[in-house]
Amino acid sequence: MNCETGKMESWKNGKSLVTLWLQLLSPFLLTLLSFSSCNKPVCSEPFEPTPYEIEIPYGFPTQLNVPEDNPMTVGGVELGRTLFYDGRLNGRTHPDSLMSCSTCHRQENSFEVGVARPHPFGVTGKSTHHAMLPMINLVWNPGHFGWNGSVGSIEEDVLGVISDPSEFDSSPEKVVNTIKSIPGYEALFVNAFGSKEITIDKIAKAIAQFVRTLISANTKFDKYLQGQVQLSPEELRGFVLFTTEEGADCFHCHGGYGNPLFTTNKFYNNGKDSVFTDPYDRYFITGDQMDKGGYKATTLRNIEFTGPYMHDGRFETLEEVIEFYSHDLINTPQIDPLMHHIANGGIQLTPNEKSDLMAFIKTLRDEEFLSNPDFGKPLLFPDDNSH
Amino acid sequence: MRNPNNIIIATLTLICCTVMMIASCDKTDTPAEGENGKIILHFSHYNDGEPLEFDTMKYTNAAGNNYLVNEIQYFISDIKLHKTDGSIKLIDDWDDIHYVDTDIESTQSWQVYDPIGPGDYEKISFTFGISEEKNQSLMFLNPPERDMFWPEFLGGGYHYMKLNGKWLADDEIVKPFDFHLGIGQIYSGGVIEPDSITAFVQNYFEVELPASSFSISDGETINFEIIMNIENWFQDPNTFNHDEWGGDIMQKQDAMKLGCENGQEDVFSIYQVFIVEN
Repeated sequence: MNCETGKMESWKNGKSLVTLWLQLLSPFLLTLLSFSSCNKPVCSEPFEPTPYEIEIPYGFPTQLNVPEDNPMTVGGVELGRTLFYDGRLNGRTHPDSLMSCSTCHRQENSFEVGVARPHPFGVTGKSTHHAMLPMINLVWNPGHFGWNGSVGSIEEDVLGVISDPSEFDSSPEKVVNTIKSIPGYEALFVNAFGSKEITIDKIAKAIAQFVRTLISANTKFDKYLQGQVQLSPEELRGFVLFTTEEGADCFHCHGGYGNPLFTTNKFYNNGKDSVFTDPYDRYFITGDQMDKGGYKATTLRNIEFTGPYMHDGRFETLEEVIEFYSHDLINTPQIDPLMHHIANGGIQLTPNEKSDLMAFIKTLRDEEFLSNPDFGKPLLFPDDNSH
Repeated sequence: MRNPNNIIIATLTLICCTVMMIASCDKTDTPAEGENGKIILHFSHYNDGEPLEFDTMKYTNAAGNNYLVNEIQYFISDIKLHKTDGSIKLIDDWDDIHYVDTDIESTQSWQVYDPIGPGDYEKISFTFGISEEKNQSLMFLNPPERDMFWPEFLGGGYHYMKLNGKWLADDEIVKPFDFHLGIGQIYSGGVIEPDSITAFVQNYFEVELPASSFSISDGETINFEIIMNIENWFQDPNTFNHDEWGGDIMQKQDAMKLGCENGQEDVFSIYQVFIVEN
């Protein structure tokens, strides 16, 4: 009985305590409940995509440029790759009008169009203003894409391509409607974004995710950097030239041992012209007179596959480029101070030195990047078509 | 079987305690008010007593070279605060190597992480560049510091400084100069090639800032403005003539030596000190 009484008292005390606790904490609990329910759609499973992890290669920057509102996921990359290669991405389905990113960004050319089309043109035949830049290691671009740094993100670039008359010459509506009409894409969007809704922003985000996976880090130089291989005497002499001021002094703008991206992603006037007539140089962005004739220093990874060279594609071969830096520089008030060899018209390389420098530059060839199936065209598109 | 009401009470208590702990988290790292002082370093760049104007051929150095400055990038490290009692406070936290870039405003001030003990300090000193022990290749993987790397063949590590500009040469042609300081090389037989290097020279040097005494109390924040006086890189004690040394000096130890001796003398000063009471 005592025991029973004790239970009863305990129950009574407990009840009163519970009531008191609930009274005290009810506003608090309601707040907690409202917070916890914020991210969960009612009556649906939470979307928890598999993250796409980027492994940082040896010596590479640890800071990636991945926008907070577009985290990389396995599903997003898969969708992006499919869209990147789908010829209907420009909003047209006629076999003669197909155009996707891959029409010009070709894997065998390090996602550049190559010398076959020195002045790339869009679906209407109009040429782009500048020659192309390759898509290599753009996940480390700090947010100054293009020759003059006018584009702030890959997502922004995709959206620009869609409406550019010299590229897709299309509209977001046409692109979205076309992708919506293709059976199978909804499932890929669900996998990527947790919803079957197809929007132009999601299309841009998915393609950007795929482009951020295009990493080149498996060249002979990368293996040399890690002590796995030795450079040949010719390549080593070329590396010395590349990375010394008394040599060719390429490293201040194009990187090297301490910067294996082989670009600073900065902009320089490198002495090509005496008069600057291109309205879309770096000056177009900054308004600084000293930036006239300034363009981005491109990455030298796989550079032998990404001709023609310079912003206007004026040089078809690397030999021409080396000849230019050796003897043909033009001094102007805008010349970058790092071009200290300008006083001699160039770096004045001998034929043997040119050969050595070329040998080193070819150690930046990444065959795996050019043939990696993860970067290549899907065998089939969502509707089992092979466009 | 346990009383369900006890479980409810325990659960509510646990939730309450957890939330209280989370709410208090932000405060745990904050030092007690008034415990120590703080210092903030601001870096500015002057020429001939005036704030530096970039890309303007308006300056003349001691050798008579007309010149302009395009950009300056450099490291300072191992900042030491010397107390009047002879003790030294070394700013030795994780952020002890600081990069300054005239094109990147955020690098031009440095809120030193370390709390500064109250008392009287007679001077401030720092290392210009990076000491041999710390100047290791690939320690900076990210820009902008990454782009200061010094080639392995020439000693490795990082540039101490890039001071880029142009001068009107004696042949009346405007030419670029890259006044770059870092690890020097000694070449044998006058052959300027990496195979001929017989020794490397650590050119970093310690700077004792003149008139840098200060006192700090609990809870105070002191702002120091550290001035780089550009013209002094080219004078006192050595007159540096661009016509003599040309546009590049990374492989000219004699030229770097002149620059470093000038730098140690009077390139840096403290122009202004102001105190913010917390």
